[in-house]
Amino acid sequence: MATTACFIIVSRNDIPIYEAEVGSTVKREDAAHLHQFILHAAQDIVQDLAWTTSAMFLKAIDRFNDLVVSVYVTAGHTRFMLLHDSRNDDGIKSFFQEVHELYIKTLLNPLYLPGSRITSSHFDTKVRALARKYL
Amino acid sequence: EMMGVTYFMLNHSRKEAEYCMENAFNTYLKNVPAGHQNATRCGLWWIEMLKARDQYKEAASVYFHISGEESLHSAVMLEQASYCYLYSKPPMLRKYGFHLVLSGNQYKKCDQIKHAIRTYQRAISVFKGTTWSYIKDHVHFHVGQWYAFLGLYDAAVVHMLEVLMCAHQSKTTQELFLKNFLHFVQKAGKACEVLKLPLPIINASSLKVVFEDHRTYASPAAIGVRESLWRSFEEEVIPSLPTARTNWLEVQSKPISRKRKESNVCIVGEAIQVDVEFKNPLQISIPLTNVSLICELFERSDEAQTDASTSSELQNNEHINLTAERLMNFDKSSFALSDVDCTLESGSTTMVKLTVTPREEGILNIVGVKWRLSGSVVGCYNFLTTTMKKTATRKKKQKRSFTDNLKFEVIKSLPKLEGLIHTLPEKVYAGELRHLTLELSNMSEAAVKNLKMKISHPRFLNIGKAEHLKDIVVRKDSPLSWPLWFHAAVPGNISLYIVLYYEIEDAESFMKYRTLRMFYNLEVLPAIDVSFQISPLPSTLQKFLVRMDVASRTSLEDFQIHQLSSLGSQWEISLIDTLFHPPLLMSAQAFTCFLMLKRCEKPKGSDEVSSLTPCIGGDVKLSPNDDGESLYDISLSPLSDFHNCERLHQEKPSQGDSDTVDFVLISRRVHSESGSGVSYSPCLLSNHACHCSISSSSPISWAVEGPREIHHNFSASFCEVSLRMTLYNSSDAVASLRVNTLDSNQSGFLLSDSSAVLPTNQEGWYNVSLESEIKVTSDVRGTILNSLSSESIRPIIWSGSSSTKLQLEPSSTVQIPLQVCIFCPGTYDLSNYVVQWNLQWPIDQGNEETRPNSGTCPGYPYYITVLPSS
Repeated sequence: MATTACFIIVSRNDIPIYEAEVGSTVKREDAAHLHQFILHAAQDIVQDLAWTTSAMFLKAIDRFNDLVVSVYVTAGHTRFMLLHDSRNDDGIKSFFQEVHELYIKTLLNPLYLPGSRITSSHFDTKVRALARKYL
Repeated sequence: EMMGVTYFMLNHSRKEAEYCMENAFNTYLKNVPAGHQNATRCGLWWIEMLKARDQYKEAASVYFHISGEESLHSAVMLEQASYCYLYSKPPMLRKYGFHLVLSGNQYKKCDQIKHAIRTYQRAISVFKGTTWSYIKDHVHFHVGQWYAFLGLYDAAVVHMLEVLMCAHQSKTTQELFLKNFLHFVQKAGKACEVLKLPLPIINASSLKVVFEDHRTYASPAAIGVRESLWRSFEEEVIPSLPTARTNWLEVQSKPISRKRKESNVCIVGEAIQVDVEFKNPLQISIPLTNVSLICELFERSDEAQTDASTSSELQNNEHINLTAERLMNFDKSSFALSDVDCTLESGSTTMVKLTVTPREEGILNIVGVKWRLSGSVVGCYNFLTTTMKKTATRKKKQKRSFTDNLKFEVIKSLPKLEGLIHTLPEKVYAGELRHLTLELSNMSEAAVKNLKMKISHPRFLNIGKAEHLKDIVVRKDSPLSWPLWFHAAVPGNISLYIVLYYEIEDAESFMKYRTLRMFYNLEVLPAIDVSFQISPLPSTLQKFLVRMDVASRTSLEDFQIHQLSSLGSQWEISLIDTLFHPPLLMSAQAFTCFLMLKRCEKPKGSDEVSSLTPCIGGDVKLSPNDDGESLYDISLSPLSDFHNCERLHQEKPSQGDSDTVDFVLISRRVHSESGSGVSYSPCLLSNHACHCSISSSSPISWAVEGPREIHHNFSASFCEVSLRMTLYNSSDAVASLRVNTLDSNQSGFLLSDSSAVLPTNQEGWYNVSLESEIKVTSDVRGTILNSLSSESIRPIIWSGSSSTKLQLEPSSTVQIPLQVCIFCPGTYDLSNYVVQWNLQWPIDQGNEETRPNSGTCPGYPYYITVLPSS
């Protein structure tokens, strides 16, 4: 189980539509800022890397000290970015795939505007449960 | 290290060079004690090599590795790393920004504030407009703090403004931000300046303006009613605008300029109320003080100027600055503003009511609203700028855009009536009658005249002689009290709309008339239900049996029935049992009472008598005699007016029976101990039951008249008795009737107890010899029929026509003669006849199945006693 993990879903316009701290440590204010900064900066790398491969799971694309950024890109270029300090690649891949399914279900909701924030508490609960399971 | 450099200089085998440099670098860092400087040097070489080959990304990562622990050193390195990211192709702006932030942090750690600010400022440009809220807040907050540290409070305030709207942060962070902001503002000395604060959020679409021009409102409830509803209600009362040109004989009214027609009009000295919604998105509560409107009042000669400035394309910024400047040196004496203090709780939305009262004539513009946040900062919000953007995008100019609501033309003072109906209860019982007073007071110097009043529910409210209102003039010191009668006719929630129209005596004013709109909402609770069933008494034409069922529908009050009155074409009503008095109607109970209704004779020559004039005996007192109350006269107003309304509202039964009677039941509420929320006063209730039909199931009714007791000398001849049968057709159709007198089924009996069996089904002629066969003795009891048992005759036969056929027009009567011959004394029942009726409905009327078409009615008992005369 990762001690630190920050999961953000970013739309293709670089707008974060979902954020969650899914690590097991207590959330700290400045840590939250730092995580956002790291993930935000990692987007530069993702942007280029996404076009070079047809795979969705891009593994670890960036590092900062001991934190690793793993990214999963969907067909609509929505990025699932996970900041973590563990090395559990398979677990992370399964996590991303499950979250992708959840995201598709959210997209199927006709009342959901793609690119807007995901506010469903059901989604939030499920993501956290998946994080506990796989990470 | 040297190998790497030389490989580079040779410009071949890149990989080797890099490998060497990396090796050297790592060795320096790990193995060499205090080799940091060497590592730095090595790294810088490496970086230059990479840069020369345009590998900026790798260079940046090397810079990052170099950065190490010491703050200044790492700060510089990180900054260089950020520039490398910037130079890389494509430029990695986010990395650039991130590393700038990191370096700034390091600068701060070694107290190089200015450098920190410098790097952060550069980073701001990257993060401008980002939706990554934590990032933005972090950057702005820290820059703001550092500026404040340096003493540049103005810049600090600018940055803190950016982080004020931080609903996503935790509560402590919000408090921290706000506290810092206020502190900086204080230090910057900007407490008296007006800023465009984003906090609290003002919902411009919630703006509601209430003003009074020729439409005035008596209460806030009246304001809440839709304008279209008031307009359609007032249509009859307000004189319509003359569309034709007036000729020179009539006084010319001032030409109404086009501008005047479009803008709203308000009166000097009367308040305009503006309602605005304030929202607090944070988790902390915000105290607001001195919330008031920002207004401008121009003289009317400035009209041309304002036209030019507002109709052209005005820069939004200019207008804001204009307002800010104007606010400081504003002449506030031409209008009075209200000041409101409120505290917005976390996440709450409050509707703030502000008023402005103009004191001079001119053009009044409501520009915006200003408030003081937490006692230190003054913020303002401009209504016009936000809407200008909206109107610019619309192609079609809408009739009344948002900003039009905020422009007023102030005209000179006019009188205004204030009206109130005292004592209008909020909850009443159905049927309650109350006397109310409408109080009108005129607070201004000028008088008003020519009053007209219109009420939406005349069924509920009666204003008496409305014509007299026209002649009244209401002046300042003479308030008018007009009596009103209130009758709660039906249970439910009732909304009463009242419009009072009045004209101003001063003929020069722009506005000739005003209307006062009053609105009251009340709840009528069910109290007494009364129903009537009327059936004609058999064998009579003019008498009817009335069954009155009274039930109490409320469980909280007791009622005492006082009187029942009947209205309509001369009815007389009385109790069948004169000693019976209906009991007190306890809560949720019912009782039944039977009464007799008799049709009075119409006095001769009474064609003009109104059908509602009751004749003597039209009222019956139902309460105990000892309560000392007399009967109420229902022909007087207001009871008669209310009854007329009830007649209109209560539907006539579909059969369209023209013969109906109306009942009015008057009762009184008896004081009960339980408090029911209804204001207690000794009150009367009147229940009106209209259009009670008096027809029976059969449309034909008749009565047989004739002598009941006859003395006859049977020795001379038999007795012939003539009878009259009066038939009445109470339906709407022509009836063809057949009266068959039957000699069979003779149900008469003789006074003797002879065992002679009267034969049945004997018809035809037979010889009756009286003298010999019937011995009449003086002793009636002993009369025996003798020797007639074999061939018995009936002592009474119908001797007139056995079948009479006739046509009877609707609602008309006809008399036919009947004759019987009686041969021996006795008491006979002349009910052996039948009346067959057949109604002929007009063909074009549908629904014939529900109407009775034909029927047969047996005869009523009619006893006639024939005694021998001696």
